[in-house]
Amino acid sequence: MTDLFGNLIDGLTFVMGVIPILTITLGVIMGIVAGATPGLSPSMGVALLVPFTYAMSPTLALILLVAIYIAANYGGSITAVTINAPGTPSSVVTAFDGYPLTKKGKPGMALGVSLVASTVGGIIGTLILIFFSGPLAKFALKFHPAEYFALAIFGLTTVASLGGKNWIKAFIAAMFGLLLNTVGIDPISGVSRFTFGFSFLYDGFALIPALIGLFALSEIFKQLEGGDFSTQQVAPGKQEWPTTSTYWKLKNTIMRSSFMGTIIGIFPGAGATIAAFISYDVAKRVSKHPEAFGKGSLEGVAAAEGANSSSVGGALIPLLTLGIPGSASTAVLIGALMIHDLTPGPQLFISNPDIIYGLLASLLIANVILLILGFFGARLWIKVTTIPKTVLFPLIFAVSIIGSFAVRNSFFDVAACLVFGVFGWLLRRYNYPVAPIILGMVLGNIAETNFIRAIMMGGWTVFFTRPMSLGMLVVAAASFAVPLIQARKQK
Amino acid sequence: MKQIVADKKMSRTLKVLGLILIIFGFLLLTSKAHAAFPEKPIKIVVYTGPGGLIDISARKFAGIASKYVDVNFVVENKPGAGGIVALKKVIQAPADGYNLYACTKSNIAKFVQVGGSEYIDALNWTAMLMADPECVITHGTQDLHLWPDIVANALQNPGEQNWVGPAAGGLDHVTALKIWDAYGMDAKWIPFKSGGKALAALLGEQGVAYVGNPRDALGNADLHIAAVSSPQRLSAFPDVPTFTELGMPGLENEYMWRGFALKKGTPPEVVQWYDALFKKVTADPDWISFWSKGGLDIKYVAEEAFTTLVHEDAKIFEYYLRKSNILQDEAQGILANIASGTSFTVLSLILVMIWLLCSYGVYRSAYAAIVGRVIVIGFFLVVSILFLVQSLNFPNSTAVGPAAVPRLWIYMLIPLNLLLLFKTFRNVAEVSESGPRVDIVLNFIGFLVVYLLLMQVIGYFLSTFGFVIVGLYYLGYRKWRNIFIISGGWILFSYLIFYKTLYVPLPLGTIFESLF
Repeated sequence: MTDLFGNLIDGLTFVMGVIPILTITLGVIMGIVAGATPGLSPSMGVALLVPFTYAMSPTLALILLVAIYIAANYGGSITAVTINAPGTPSSVVTAFDGYPLTKKGKPGMALGVSLVASTVGGIIGTLILIFFSGPLAKFALKFHPAEYFALAIFGLTTVASLGGKNWIKAFIAAMFGLLLNTVGIDPISGVSRFTFGFSFLYDGFALIPALIGLFALSEIFKQLEGGDFSTQQVAPGKQEWPTTSTYWKLKNTIMRSSFMGTIIGIFPGAGATIAAFISYDVAKRVSKHPEAFGKGSLEGVAAAEGANSSSVGGALIPLLTLGIPGSASTAVLIGALMIHDLTPGPQLFISNPDIIYGLLASLLIANVILLILGFFGARLWIKVTTIPKTVLFPLIFAVSIIGSFAVRNSFFDVAACLVFGVFGWLLRRYNYPVAPIILGMVLGNIAETNFIRAIMMGGWTVFFTRPMSLGMLVVAAASFAVPLIQARKQK
Repeated sequence: MKQIVADKKMSRTLKVLGLILIIFGFLLLTSKAHAAFPEKPIKIVVYTGPGGLIDISARKFAGIASKYVDVNFVVENKPGAGGIVALKKVIQAPADGYNLYACTKSNIAKFVQVGGSEYIDALNWTAMLMADPECVITHGTQDLHLWPDIVANALQNPGEQNWVGPAAGGLDHVTALKIWDAYGMDAKWIPFKSGGKALAALLGEQGVAYVGNPRDALGNADLHIAAVSSPQRLSAFPDVPTFTELGMPGLENEYMWRGFALKKGTPPEVVQWYDALFKKVTADPDWISFWSKGGLDIKYVAEEAFTTLVHEDAKIFEYYLRKSNILQDEAQGILANIASGTSFTVLSLILVMIWLLCSYGVYRSAYAAIVGRVIVIGFFLVVSILFLVQSLNFPNSTAVGPAAVPRLWIYMLIPLNLLLLFKTFRNVAEVSESGPRVDIVLNFIGFLVVYLLLMQVIGYFLSTFGFVIVGLYYLGYRKWRNIFIISGGWILFSYLIFYKTLYVPLPLGTIFESLF
């Protein structure tokens, strides 16, 4: 432990230099922009910047990339709140309450809470990474495919509470998302499914164009349909920002979501999105005002953001302790380590402690810089909501087109984004929630591949003979049933 | 009279313009014909995102190649479909040598799987630059981690051992199949989304062995390389025995190669230019020292031998993909026939017709208020039925076949939609929320479709400039100066941020691409 503190202080001393601070600041700015741009996910933000780090020292390169990763997770919430266009899949959950707050004329409240929850979540995730990474990594390794399957099912049960009174429509949307996820080459058998011979469907539907279409485009179509686009979303003037007491009231939600986000972030493949959905669901269940969720609840925003930012620390645990990526972004970080002739894994703590502890210290500093820059940035972003809709709408279309193209540099994705937009608009017209489609697309792959893997490894009974899997499935069943029973009682 | 003069003037102008264009085109062509290769930057098209080993190879190559030739190499990542997306980018461009495809042996598995020889023959397999031997990695603290013990255990317990690794049908899977064939073993291949996730499963003691490259075992003391498929021991891993040493000849040449390919039909002088460059790069000390750490064999194999190697690999992949049921012959039987070809198209058309007729029937009936809701439910039902029929064609290659999970979702979708349909007819009064200006939405959808079609012809920048102007005007914005500033500002922003900074290759359109 003494070594740990000593190494950490060395790391902090290094990152407090002018060049590292400037590097982190640059990374945070780039990350916020990458996250806030629909189409650029945190992993893409990191990946796009990897080539620029070749000429840098390994420590500076890594702290730049990690700063981008952290900030991009927060950046996704900005467009989710201001224009209902989640910049990242995990910020879909932030949009549930963030955008209604904007519609009510309170984007400052949503942006303020999302920033503070992100920062606190990021710091908690980092502290857990620093002090408990060893045992947590060992725990994560024991996770069998049966448990991954149970975790995915647990995530899917959040549909029950997302759907509310429209539970049948919410389930149809989720099942459709799950079905869409089966398009492409089956990762287990290698057989191509529902591709109809089109090579651009071999990888299935990319998530980001679906996200942009279902949220951003369908929202604009909905507003165009209303005929009222001569005004601004929010009238310019004095904005309402959260006060210290507002943050204090949210402390339990932020702390709980941050712990959940870190733990869920550890499991390779689960990631920020599932962490955000589950934390949101739990926050709603324990809230004194569950009826406010989905209509502009600050607890909802805090839960989503605390979870998705803390998952960064969680995802870095298997990367640093085992050399195994916990998310798409950490997979890119492994490539960056290799480019600098470093071998990811536990040996790195012994062979290059300066790099590892410099990186850990930079995570803490990056979160503080994110808070400072985010504070000023929020005042700038809020101006987006005061742009007249006549100007804003064509520009959002243009952002959506370029964002969906940037994912894979493919016209197919742009066309898919448009189709998802029209489809999302039709669904919204008839009161289908669109978020369950994204949930199905995110969790479908985890659920299916781990279901089959678990059976291949341990037969059909494996889900019930492993205590952790059984426990999670029981909790999932209860989580599924309770909202439905409550909805029935309310009728 | 005035009209005739004007017509004559117009005709003369057109002639002059035509002449100028012909001269310009001729100059352009002749200058191209006489120019020495290369006269513009060369794109190295990588089939993965940044950070993977092939991406690192491409970037390292670009850096070292720049020492020997005065040309700018630009690495362009085109991930998707196991290399098909990048391949299409290369084969759709002219065969002029400006698009170099960074390829690996894994591409061949994918090409065989989805395109057969068509994709392989579309490329000129220009150079193989390195061979990364395949190896079996085990968990060093597990009882079963030495190769002879693993073989003995597998022979005693056929089909019981779990081997983990990435992707079904990929190189690592096929290598495992070859090893099992050679030893007469029977084990289970448990595929994971990536090598990293499979390694986590091995470290979590969920499998006995992992198949990959020696570099995968670096950095974690718990990982043990049990055997390597190379003719001699690797200098980077001197303690690891080869299969030949372990008494099994015939497994000494299983390796992942990485190299470059050009579009078929690239001029021979361009191929020769690359040939000279590849020789220099592979002999470069920086290149050799960078790759030596992971036990790689740096070797340059030129076009002819490389092409032969690729075709041999393709045959082997085809054999094993067929054996493991990934590649299949046409399905037989009535159901399979319905699920494919013309029968499926006819069935799709019939279902869509029924859906539209039913919707029209509802529209004409007393239930007209719920027609929209019925259309949406009908859409879900049609898609579910079509997917269900398609799934009849899927093989049963694993414990739970590829059809099982899609059918599970379909079996839930159909009754849920029928239940919703029933509820919708029972509760006709519940009118959906809709705005009065659907026409504006439909017009905007039309604008977007035209915009996307135009983008392919005149490129992103011009079409977007036009779209933003039309969009602003259509929504009633009339400050013309601002309209042009906003449209131009967006174009500038896209150019600087996406095109120049983030290297997103925004389309320039067929017209401009053919000109420049």
